[in-house]
Parts: sequence; structure tokens; C-alpha cells
Amino acid sequence: MIKSKPQPSTEPRPAIEVNHLTVSYGPVPALLDVSFKIPPGQLIGIIGPNGSGKSTLIKTLLGFMSPDFGNIRLYGQPIEKSRGRVAYVPQRGAVDWDFPVTVREVVLMGRYGHVPWYRDLGRKEHDIANHALELVRMTPYADRQIGQLSGGQQQRVFMARAMAQGGDILLLDEPFAGVDAATENAILEVLKETRSAGKTLVVVHHDLSTAATYFDALLLLKQRLYAYGPADKILNPTLLSEVYEGQLQVFSNLGVRSGAAEEPA
Amino acid sequence: MFEEFSLSPEWALAVRTLIALTMVSAVCSVIGCLVILRRMSFLADALAHSMLAGVVGGYLLMKLVFGVEASAPGMLLGALLAGFLTVATIGFITRVSRIKQDTAIGIMYTGIFALGGFFASYKPLSQHIQVDLYHFVVGSVLSVTDADMWMLVGVTIIVLASVVFFFRQLKLTSFDPVMAAAIGIPVVALDYLLTACASLVVVSGVTIVGVVLVVALMITPAATAYLLQDRLHRMMWVAVLFGILSSWIGYGLAAFAGVAPGPAIVIVNTGAFVLTLTLSPRYGLIADWWRRRKSVPQIMTEDVLLVAFRAKPALATQQAMLEAIGGSMRQLKKTLTYLQGKNWLESVDGRWQLTTEGNMEAQRLLRAHRLWETYLDQVGMPAEQVHETAERLEHVHDESAVDYLDDKLGHPLVDPHGSEIPEDVQRLQSGEGVKLSFLREGYRVQVVRLLPCESLTSKITQGLVLSVGARTSDLEHWRVCTEDQTWFDLDHQAADSVEVRVVGYLPPSS
Repeated sequence: MIKSKPQPSTEPRPAIEVNHLTVSYGPVPALLDVSFKIPPGQLIGIIGPNGSGKSTLIKTLLGFMSPDFGNIRLYGQPIEKSRGRVAYVPQRGAVDWDFPVTVREVVLMGRYGHVPWYRDLGRKEHDIANHALELVRMTPYADRQIGQLSGGQQQRVFMARAMAQGGDILLLDEPFAGVDAATENAILEVLKETRSAGKTLVVVHHDLSTAATYFDALLLLKQRLYAYGPADKILNPTLLSEVYEGQLQVFSNLGVRSGAAEEPA
Repeated sequence: MFEEFSLSPEWALAVRTLIALTMVSAVCSVIGCLVILRRMSFLADALAHSMLAGVVGGYLLMKLVFGVEASAPGMLLGALLAGFLTVATIGFITRVSRIKQDTAIGIMYTGIFALGGFFASYKPLSQHIQVDLYHFVVGSVLSVTDADMWMLVGVTIIVLASVVFFFRQLKLTSFDPVMAAAIGIPVVALDYLLTACASLVVVSGVTIVGVVLVVALMITPAATAYLLQDRLHRMMWVAVLFGILSSWIGYGLAAFAGVAPGPAIVIVNTGAFVLTLTLSPRYGLIADWWRRRKSVPQIMTEDVLLVAFRAKPALATQQAMLEAIGGSMRQLKKTLTYLQGKNWLESVDGRWQLTTEGNMEAQRLLRAHRLWETYLDQVGMPAEQVHETAERLEHVHDESAVDYLDDKLGHPLVDPHGSEIPEDVQRLQSGEGVKLSFLREGYRVQVVRLLPCESLTSKITQGLVLSVGARTSDLEHWRVCTEDQTWFDLDHQAADSVEVRVVGYLPPSS
């Protein structure tokens, strides 16, 4: 739709390129004129208040919603041609951890979309799953039932499934919601390792106090893209108070930081 | 006492039965409301079934140990115990294992029910059973004994008193048990109270309609009331009303058709539910269908307004509208009626014109359309596609979104085709605060608020009245003049930092 400007060949092709994205459910747009590029191999956090369009963005990236205007390119390909390159990692609460299924089986599920229903999963499928298990260092736990793992290990399993699916881009919906500090660290480790494996991770995140240290860059979203860049540029009190209007917790959290920022060096 | 009515024996029986039915239906419906709100319907079914084992146990114990034949208190106590045993084991299994509650209920109640069946058919024991246990399975309203009557009176009093006295506590524990526990309400004790009430109610219901159908007496009237009411105490009253009426009608139907009363009562209850599901004014199917039928698609309304606006000063005919926007004549007529009702459109000899309010709304939409066109042009869309895409995007016309576009595009005056972009007249006239950057030549405004801005001259102060002049030809500067004819040039940032209220308008002389 929109002519994209020719890019200098030296710049690596972005993993995710969003151009002038507008998505609406009625007169009020959920996303308005959102544009950004995410280079491959980055760990990106999406932050913004409730109802700011975070999940609409995720749904649109997954191809569940079609934009009113604008386009999305994944590694230069339009979204319809890159089904499967984007893998979704569900919220922990959405998983039935008592389900009678082993780690290996969950990871193999990532291959189900690649095999016709009348064929068994072949050697190749198992190899891919095993490789994904190795990447997240979960091979020793392959035959455990998924409920018998720690929080960090559980996250690894679903990261492995996303990788087995062939996903180069992983979308995570609040992986840190409702976990203890130890698990949070373990999950962060997994995310960083996955990034080292060359994957691009986009993480919906709620906690502003940790956002600064966890991610390579932050997307500050509230219908519009208010800011995109390294955490220290995004997490300034003026910008945040504009986006999180009247949410006092934000100000108190950032009190120290803002004082330090205004101090001349 | 119940025989002392001076009526013929048939009528005495009928009155007695109706009294029993009234009591049973009332308590069943009240408890049923709490049961369905706690999603315990299946548990109520379980209680009813396991009760059979309790009845057998109580009967045999009283008969074999104490030699009392068909002791009603014995059977009642047995039934209650079996009920508690069921609830306790279900809770236990859910706590200690990965088995979910619905499965635990399914396992335990069939198990306990089977235990009752086992002993009831075990020869050395069953030879002592002289009552017809079959009655417990299908129920028999016509054989309500004096003892049953007294038991019903007792159950009714206990259950209604519990609900009345502990109404608030029961409501809160059903709605938010964690919070209830936190403020010191004995949640567990209340759970047991509710279970006890449910058990009592089930026991009394079983004598009327039997084990299989008793659940219907509890949950069907409650569910019917749930479709009609949004507050718990009203829901309970309505449930009681439906429960009692259904049992009376069902009883009459049974007497008239010569069938068993239990099934007849349940059928009337179910019928009342289906009828309510269809006809309920808020949650009913017909109401839902009617609302959907009456609703007018947003896109069509907006298209009609714009067609009427573009037709000005001529009046638009329905035929011309239909040609311009497509769709069916029926939809168009519905839309026109809706717009007429909103007082945005009026009919003159079968043709249509905008009212003043409709005109403002149409201008608002046209503003969205033309700003989207300007936006599309700016992001590099080929000119021949711009209009068509904007036709789609104009329906995204939320004020703050359109303002954002306006601001981002530098408040353009005309769209890429050279047509003027209308102002949001409605908002400007409303007298609410608006950024100076949204205003065009001719407005008289008063400064309401100033935001910090480096490029803004300190001469502009709060309360000052300004006249807005023509924008500079590159559109980058806003020109304003004070009452003593001093002119200021404000850049975009400065114009954004001045919040003003419109006090007058003088059309610029061209």
C-alpha cells in the first residue's frame, strides 16, 4: 500500500517492520499511526497502561486482526506469507499444568502445523524438537510431566515449542505476571538465551520498575507510539506521566530516577 | 392438625399437598439462587443422589438397632450425614490430588449412591426394608405423611431463617470468598451452613419429586429469575414466585391429566425457563434479536450524513443516497429513521436535509475524511487510491485520534484535492478549552491556561482576549492580535501551549 523508501543495503533487514499501522474496533482506534522497526536478535518490551493497544498489536502481529491501514513486514515479507515465523508464547495462567503431557510432547506440538494430519511425526520432526530442547537446556527433563518443573523451566518448555515451530519472532504475553523473584530471574535468563540464539523477542510487560534493566529497547504504547528506544530515553517522568495520566504509583516509583536525571553531571 | 380442615377428604388432601409443595418450592428456589451463583448445580445433584444412601442407612440403623419402623428423623439424619460425607470427600479429593472438582463430584456421588443401592438390595438387610424406596427415586407428593409435613415446616423455618439472618454474609462469600475471609467472616462455617441448607432442601424435595428431579426444583426457578433480575434479593423473590407457581400449575396439570405430579412440576418449571429465555426483556433471545434488528450500522449512518452534506444545498433523495452508498433500501430506511430520531436529518417532501446538529456532525466526519486523505497523501499513497482508502478510514473519527492527525500534519487548511478541511465547529462552539493551534482566522478567544513553552512570548497571559488572524502562507505560524492591536506570531509549539476558549467569531472578509 505505502511505498516503502529504498533502504541502504548495509542496514540489516528488520525482523519486524510496522508502517503506519491503524487498527480499530469502531470510531476509536486501538492503534493509530504506529510505525517502528525491530532489528533481529533483540529483546523488546512493550509497555503502556491498560487498554493501550498492547494486545491489539500482538494480535495484529500474529495475523489475527487485519489493520484498517498500514502494513507489517516480517523479515521483509508481508504477514500473510510468514505464517509460522511468529510464535506466540502463552501467559502462564492460560496453561493447564496438570495436563498429562510431557515436556517433549509439548515441544513436538510446535511441529504439528508442519505435518499433515494423516502422517505420523517423522524423524525430522523429532530431531527439530530435540534440538529445540537442547537450545533451552531442557533435554534432561524431556520426559517429565510439565507440572513437575520450576517456573523458569516451564517457560523454557514453551520457548522451545516456539522455536520448534520455526518461529524466528517470539511474542510473549506478560511472562513475568504472578511469578516470584527467583522465577522472574530464571525466565529473564531464558529470554536472554533465546535472544542469543538469534531470535527476536517481543514481550508485553507491566512492571515499569524492571522494564529499564530487562530489555534492549522499549515501545511505549497508548493508542499511539509515544516513544521507542533504549530504556533510559523512554522512562522519563514527563513522558510517563503523559501516558499513565494520574497513575500515582508511577510517579513514586520514578521519584529517585527523575531527581538523579535532573542533577547536572 | 392437618386433618382438621372441614373439607371433603379429596380436597383436604389437595390443600395439604399444595401447602407441602409451596414450602418445598420456596426453600428450594431460595437456596437454588445461591447454588447457581456459586456454580454448584452439579453438587446439588450429587447431594440428592448420595442422600439415598443416607436414607437407607438411617432407616436400617433405626430399625435394626432401635426397632423403630420408618423413623423419619432417622432417615433425615442419615440423609444429612450422607450429604456431608459427599461434600467432605469431594473437597478432600480436590485438595490432595490433581483431580478437578467436577470429576471428584462425579466419582463420589455415584459411589455413595451405589453404596445405598448395594445395601438396599442386599437380601439380609433388604428383607427388613418395608418402605418403598422407589418413592425416593421418583418421589411421591401424594403420600406426604404428617411426619413429612412437620419436617417440611421445620426445614422451611430453618432454611429461610438462615438465609434471612446471614443474607449479607452468604452474598459476600458467594461473590468474593477471599475478601470475606479477610474481613473475618467465617467462610468455612458459612459453606457448611449452605451445604446443610441445601441438604435439608434436597431431603424435603426428594419426598415430592424424587432424587432425579429435585435438582430441577432448586436450579430451574433460580435460573429463570437470574435471567430477569440483577440483584440477589430480588432474584430470590422472583425465583420463589416462579417455583411456587410452577409447582401449583404442575400439580393441577398432573391432576387434570392423571400423571405423576413430580415430572409435571418439573416440566412446568422448565417451560417457564424456556419462555423466559425467549421473552426476558433484558437477557431474552427476542429482546436480543430486536436490539440487533433495531441497531443501525455506524458506517451506514455516517455515509448517509456525508451524502446529505455533499448534496447541499440540494436535498438528497433516497434513491440518490442508495446509489452513493450501496446496501438495501430497508437498511437505508432504518438508518434514516434513526437519524431523524437523533434530530440530525429531517424530511422535506420525501427528500432529506441535515438539521443544524446533523450539519455539525457531518462536518466532524468530513474533517476526519479530509484529514485522513491528507495523511494518506503524506505517507506516500498514490493519489488515485487516497479517496477510496479515506472512505474506509473516515469511520475512525474519534475526536482525539483526529486531533492527533491534525496536529501531526501541521493543522492543514485544505486536503490534497484542494477542498477545505472543516473545523470541529461543535467543540469550538461548546466553549470548552482547546489548543490555539486548532483555531483559524476570525475567532475571538480568551486564554484559559498556559503550558510552559520556551518560544511563547511572555506578553500572552491568562485571561487575555485575542483575535486570531490568517495563518502565515507556509502555515507554520499562527497570528494573533490583542485588543490594543498588537500582533504576535506563534510557532506550532507556542500555539499548542496556549489553551483558549472561543468567545466570538467574525468571518474574515475575503
